[in-house]
Amino acid sequence: MAGTSDPHASAFSAAELEFLAEDEMIEIVPNLRMDALNFISGDFGPFRPQIPTQAPLWLAVALKKRGKCTIRAPEWMSVDKLTQVLEAERDSDKFQPLPFHYVEISRLLFDHAQGDIPDTYMVRSLIEDIKDVRFHKIGKGLESISGGGTFALKLKNLSAMEANIVRPFVTRALETFYKLSSSDMIQETDNAPNRQQTANRGPRRQLKDR
Amino acid sequence: MKIRTMKLRETHAAADDSVCSILWASDLGHIVTASSSDNAICIHDASAPSNAPKFLRNHREGVTALALSPNSTCLASGSLDHSVKLYKFPGGDFETNITRFTLPIRAVAFNKSGTILAAAGDDEGIKLVNTIDGTIARVLKGHKGSVTSLAFDPKSEYLTSLDSNGTVIYWELQSGSTLHVLKAIAPNNGTDVSVMNILAWSPDGELLAVPGLKNNVVLYDRDTAEKLFSLSGDHLQPICFLSWSPNGKYIATSGLDKQILIWDVDKKQDIERQKFSECITCMVWKPEGNALAVIDVKGKYGVWESVVPSTMKSPTEDIPGLYFKNSNGLLLFDEEEEPCASGNLSDLNEDSHDDFEPLRRKRSRKHSSYDDEMEDVNDELETVSKVETRKKAFYGHKENLSGRSGSRNMMVTAGTKMQEPFQPGATPAQPGKRHFLCYNMLGSITTMEHEGYSHIETDFHDTSSGPRVSAMTDYFGFTMASLNENGSVFANPCKGDKNMSTLMYRPFSSWANNSEWSMRFEGEEVRAIALGSGWVAAITNLNSLRIFTEGGLQRYILSLDGPAVTAAGYKDELAVVTHISPPLPTNEQILEFRVFNISHGSQPLRGLLPLTPGSNLTWFGFSEEGQLSSFDSKGILRVFTSQFGGTWLPLFSASKIKKSEENYWVAGLNASKLFCIVCKSPETFPQSTPKPVLTLLDLSFPLAASDLGADNLENEFMMNNMHLSRIQRSIEEREASGLDCTLLDDEAFTVETSLDRCILRLIASCCNSDKHVRATELVKLLSLEKSSRAAIKLVTALKQPNLAERFNNILEEKLLSDKKENIALPDSKSNCNGSVKPEVASTKFFTAEINRAAETAVASPVHIFPSTSNTRARNAEEPTKDKNGKSEESKTMTPGRTIDLKATGKGNANGVHNAGEATKATKVDQLSSSRPSNPFAKSSSHQGSSSLFDSLKKTKKTDIKGKV
Repeated sequence: MAGTSDPHASAFSAAELEFLAEDEMIEIVPNLRMDALNFISGDFGPFRPQIPTQAPLWLAVALKKRGKCTIRAPEWMSVDKLTQVLEAERDSDKFQPLPFHYVEISRLLFDHAQGDIPDTYMVRSLIEDIKDVRFHKIGKGLESISGGGTFALKLKNLSAMEANIVRPFVTRALETFYKLSSSDMIQETDNAPNRQQTANRGPRRQLKDR
Repeated sequence: MKIRTMKLRETHAAADDSVCSILWASDLGHIVTASSSDNAICIHDASAPSNAPKFLRNHREGVTALALSPNSTCLASGSLDHSVKLYKFPGGDFETNITRFTLPIRAVAFNKSGTILAAAGDDEGIKLVNTIDGTIARVLKGHKGSVTSLAFDPKSEYLTSLDSNGTVIYWELQSGSTLHVLKAIAPNNGTDVSVMNILAWSPDGELLAVPGLKNNVVLYDRDTAEKLFSLSGDHLQPICFLSWSPNGKYIATSGLDKQILIWDVDKKQDIERQKFSECITCMVWKPEGNALAVIDVKGKYGVWESVVPSTMKSPTEDIPGLYFKNSNGLLLFDEEEEPCASGNLSDLNEDSHDDFEPLRRKRSRKHSSYDDEMEDVNDELETVSKVETRKKAFYGHKENLSGRSGSRNMMVTAGTKMQEPFQPGATPAQPGKRHFLCYNMLGSITTMEHEGYSHIETDFHDTSSGPRVSAMTDYFGFTMASLNENGSVFANPCKGDKNMSTLMYRPFSSWANNSEWSMRFEGEEVRAIALGSGWVAAITNLNSLRIFTEGGLQRYILSLDGPAVTAAGYKDELAVVTHISPPLPTNEQILEFRVFNISHGSQPLRGLLPLTPGSNLTWFGFSEEGQLSSFDSKGILRVFTSQFGGTWLPLFSASKIKKSEENYWVAGLNASKLFCIVCKSPETFPQSTPKPVLTLLDLSFPLAASDLGADNLENEFMMNNMHLSRIQRSIEEREASGLDCTLLDDEAFTVETSLDRCILRLIASCCNSDKHVRATELVKLLSLEKSSRAAIKLVTALKQPNLAERFNNILEEKLLSDKKENIALPDSKSNCNGSVKPEVASTKFFTAEINRAAETAVASPVHIFPSTSNTRARNAEEPTKDKNGKSEESKTMTPGRTIDLKATGKGNANGVHNAGEATKATKVDQLSSSRPSNPFAKSSSHQGSSSLFDSLKKTKKTDIKGKV
């Protein structure tokens, strides 16, 4: 299957991440009357016409595809809010708080519910901009890993997609740094450089705040 | 030189020359005309000139002057019959004779806020009349001849007046004193009343234009009254009328030489001209457009479109903020529509294109000449700006004045007027936008006017199951609609003589073709409509309620008591709200509601409809369960309940939950939620696009702030109580009609349990804040035995032993009375007394058990038993009868019960029996508690037994021990 992850590239493929993001809740305005749905993950509904209710994204998209609801764009997807975030993102070194799955959610909404998002083009371009700024920031941040003594990175508010992209490289790089710096480890972990073991056995980690 | 001719429409037939007046309302839709030889005022529809105009024939003689208040809501007219009348505009309803003179009126004018009306004529004084209460604020005397024109300056500081001798006087409004008198600057017409001198302020208030003596227009400075410059040129005879374009860039002048000239004020040059067959006595610029309405001495009027050539600035560009605040938005809309006042005028437009070139040439030859002393206008304008410093001083006063009058005005408009009829779920019409005719929980009907027709769409919220309804073109101009599952009904008010009020019904699905029907009302106007299952109702201005069947059969016609406010339908029920009297001076509408059952032909409910003081009814309808509900403009929702013989409960108050200035526009409600559309504050109603989304708000009583600090619980408690009473009522109803009510029983049981849970939590918070009396009251309200026990456990856990004891007592009483009921139930009524005894027995058991639980010093059953004899003493009045009763009973009862009865019947200190009794009692108890719907709920207060047990408890230790 195309969506399955390549163990060497990254932890998840984009499709898998999208799948995970589909569990996020979103507000929909159904235009049908339907009793509450009882799922393992919980009960959703009841659905009443013109009355907004919360549903997981996958359900929202499924209903939307059948023309049974309109999706209400989440609050953070408004032009005002995104403009603010973009500005703050540019001004500060920190990552702005955005939903963990913001890339996937916005992508899903643009694909399936474009008409329901006010100022679609503006929102889309803002999100692209934010994404670019953040990736740039990550790239810049990675440069600072070089040099000894960095064994872990703290990246607050990093989103799923971003984490997914940097994860394979960063974890390996940090592992390598770690191994190199603790000479006694080198002999022991020569054969089995297990990430988890390193994490457990390592000396006090120096957190680099980014 | 080719000069175009313009055909005019005749409105006021005039034999000889007369002074005619014309106005163009700033709502764009209306042109008002009047003539001094005709007692009628005509209100024409500018966008549909073929429609018959509305005639106002309130004056007895010719109308000489017209004025429209700045907000276009009030029309004033002065007449040769010496009176000044006020009308509502654009309706044209006569309001009042605001003032009277001893001689004919020649001029009327409103000030900028519309609070003062100035009127003058052949009398010697100018009257300033307060339009709110009709009092005469001031009489300004100073003119020698009859005053022919009045003009308030746009900044409301001055009034200028011009008399037939050509004298202009500047009055200061604040003091009423004369500031400047300019003698003989305008043509002297003497006593000739067919020509009126006129003067006008520029819209920014900086210039006053007055016809000059040399067939020109002279402009005077605002403050100094100095002559600034003049516009002279092609007029061959004196100017008799002039009008500023809305932005003040152009002036239109008409002369006795039967032509109109348009002047560019800045260039002091005439840019356009138009010849007419008669002298134009009055003209007015379109408030937001490039057009001029004119009327001649024969009473013929017309609209001159595209007055200012398109190569020049529009006469509405850069309108001073003073005048039109929202001109931009309207301007756009303006250009889209085609308000050709008459067919000829479009020809005229074409002509104007043809003639454009020759005219241009002509004009270049004829440059206007300036007055010599005014060569450098810029210099003059500088002096104007210098003068401005002086004006500042006045501003303080002026603002005070207008502020005061403004607030007064508000009070009057919001004041003691009877509420207009409305349809629930309709939003006001907005030009160029789609608006709701009806919005309810089912769907919506929207309409948009477009080129004289409306386009009506019906949408259901539930797109999957609702019927698909095709859009409809509406030739009637429907303003009311109602919608339910089966169909929709529309109605329009009558418009003029031709357009009769029509009622139309559109079923959504029918087995027969063409089942749409419509009714026309001659001389009658539909005010409110409603729709139910199989019927349509319409209330008319003649206060008659007409009921039609779904197929269009006229079924009933009823007369109502007062003018209709609104109507709503639900299944078989029709609810109608009417006025029963004018509102109270305290601004409270007096409304009455009536509920009719159409299928039974009955009227189950009737009463006054309560409203918050100072508010209007804004929504009226039925909840999803069919309860009558109302919502007023103060944001209070009321629901009708049968409690207390039929009352309204306030179940929601917008002010209690209002956050960030939101307005709630109600669409419907159910038993626990209000469905509404939230509008951001200045908006009070939603737009139809984007489709509004309903918000659910919890119903809640507007409770007072309690010292308990558990408002939510208290509210829940009251809500549950209300639900319970409603369910119980429907159980009674169903039982009365012999229907099965197990479902309702179950529902009642669920409500009871949730009520008990709520009460328990309330008890806890009462205990926490030491409200012990309240806690005891609450315990009495518990309906399930289990919850009473829980309450005892609760207070025990909260270390309130005295409360626990009280609760015990209450529980015992309850069980006692309950048992009585249980046993009394199968009995005939004969032996109520007899049933007391077994209860005594059973309660003994409970006292024992409960007391143990509460860790109070309690006597064992043996100890208690003698006390029964004590209690028996009270009931000893009819011991023999009791026994008879019991023996009867025992035959019918189960064996266990008979033993029980006998035991108590013998009722003597017998330890052996005691144990037996206890066991039987438990059996009985189990019996009772196994019922799903709680028997305790219906337990009425058995005062006798409770007091009995109280006394028993009190004397427990002392008495009992004494006896033993």
